[in-house]
Amino acid sequence: MLGLLVLLDSHHGSEDVALLADDLDLEIDEIFPALEYAEILQFVKVSDGRATFTDLGKRLVAGTIRSRKAILREQLRRTTLFKTLVRALEGAPEHQLSDHDLGQIVSLTTTPSEEAVQNIINWGRYADLFRYDADSHRLLAVRTPAAAKTGGGKAPPPSPPAGAPPPSSGKRAASPPAENPAAKMARASA
Amino acid sequence: MTLIGIQHVDKSFPSRHGTITIMQDISFDVKDADFLAIVGPSGCGKSTLLRLIQGLDRPTAGRVEFRGKPVDRVCAQMAMVFQSFALYPWLTVAQNVAFGLEALDWPADRIATQVERYVSVTGLDGFQEAYPRELSGGMRQRVGLARALAVEPAVLLMDEPFSALDALTAESLREEILQLWTDPQLPPEAVVLVTHNIEEAIQLADRVIVMSRRPSHVLAEVAIDLPRPRDRKSPAFYELTDRVYSLITEGGTPMSAPPEGKPAA
Repeated sequence: MLGLLVLLDSHHGSEDVALLADDLDLEIDEIFPALEYAEILQFVKVSDGRATFTDLGKRLVAGTIRSRKAILREQLRRTTLFKTLVRALEGAPEHQLSDHDLGQIVSLTTTPSEEAVQNIINWGRYADLFRYDADSHRLLAVRTPAAAKTGGGKAPPPSPPAGAPPPSSGKRAASPPAENPAAKMARASA
Repeated sequence: MTLIGIQHVDKSFPSRHGTITIMQDISFDVKDADFLAIVGPSGCGKSTLLRLIQGLDRPTAGRVEFRGKPVDRVCAQMAMVFQSFALYPWLTVAQNVAFGLEALDWPADRIATQVERYVSVTGLDGFQEAYPRELSGGMRQRVGLARALAVEPAVLLMDEPFSALDALTAESLREEILQLWTDPQLPPEAVVLVTHNIEEAIQLADRVIVMSRRPSHVLAEVAIDLPRPRDRKSPAFYELTDRVYSLITEGGTPMSAPPEGKPAA
């Protein structure tokens, strides 16, 4: 997704989706998943086949490796899927969820294919919303000291693997409450 | 200050059919604060040249020098990022990043701090305990990058680092490399990037070394005087892309050489 935003930035923030794809010799459907996530997370608006940055999107792409992570974290946190996962972890015994539990929660919003689940795990790890232990196959809550440490750490926006979208159902519903994202951001930035 | 001097380097390999000469009389410098790209047709020896620079292999003739001294063994002040990432699948991200530091005999706590720093700087926070198999291509290459930067090399060598990535991921990684490059607090002092992607070379580098077909020689050194970030659609960018592309396809006549005795391209 980040690559798409960098690309859009090189087109001065607004461009025909077809021309964006063309720039990298891609078919439109190859940039579609990234575009979809960018829309869900409110970094771009697409209308009439044209993608344009929102203010948040502009801020994301203009930011440093560190600030991008913080913005992405905030946007992911608002989506149904990640909100649910974080809450589930808070309530779970030892703040851990098994692969099975994870699959159940994911299936509420999207098909829990192996690829989709791995993508979701990686988005969440990247945004510091949870941890994952591949040896024990468990999702783990981020403990407060760790969260404080890593949440403030510099981090480049690793393009979360283009694959299944993080929260697809309630995609429209996932549009956060009417509050101005910028205001939320301002409050969220520590 | 010249960090790397490549002086009249030849490289040949013996084969069943006789000696194969990959390159001849290659000469150029890499200076402090240089971001150098090397481009050229397939088979021209770009990757071999990187190996010669690092000391993984020796030239058949000529010299490679680092800070004025001949490179006669693998140079510990250079680190490489590979097209295929080259991560150890049985090690976690943190362990992969630590690998080069362990080879340098650093104490464990110093290694841990260093690993944390470069994991953070490359955006791998949260993935320290992940295994490569859990990661996307882009993330794996970030591990490769963190591993290379963690040893704080004077020169970062990159061998087609984005070729195994999809176009969008490559786009984001290129932008991140530039962010890291322009951070004065981070290594390296110079970068040598080998790529077959001419646009990428012009987007990232200060100078592009254009190599000919095999047996290759340096066709030209093209200076890229555009401020970063560079607009790929600007006339100046197009002009540079055209120039480099023509050099490679015409292949024979070095632009910078005097015309006498040389046939027109």
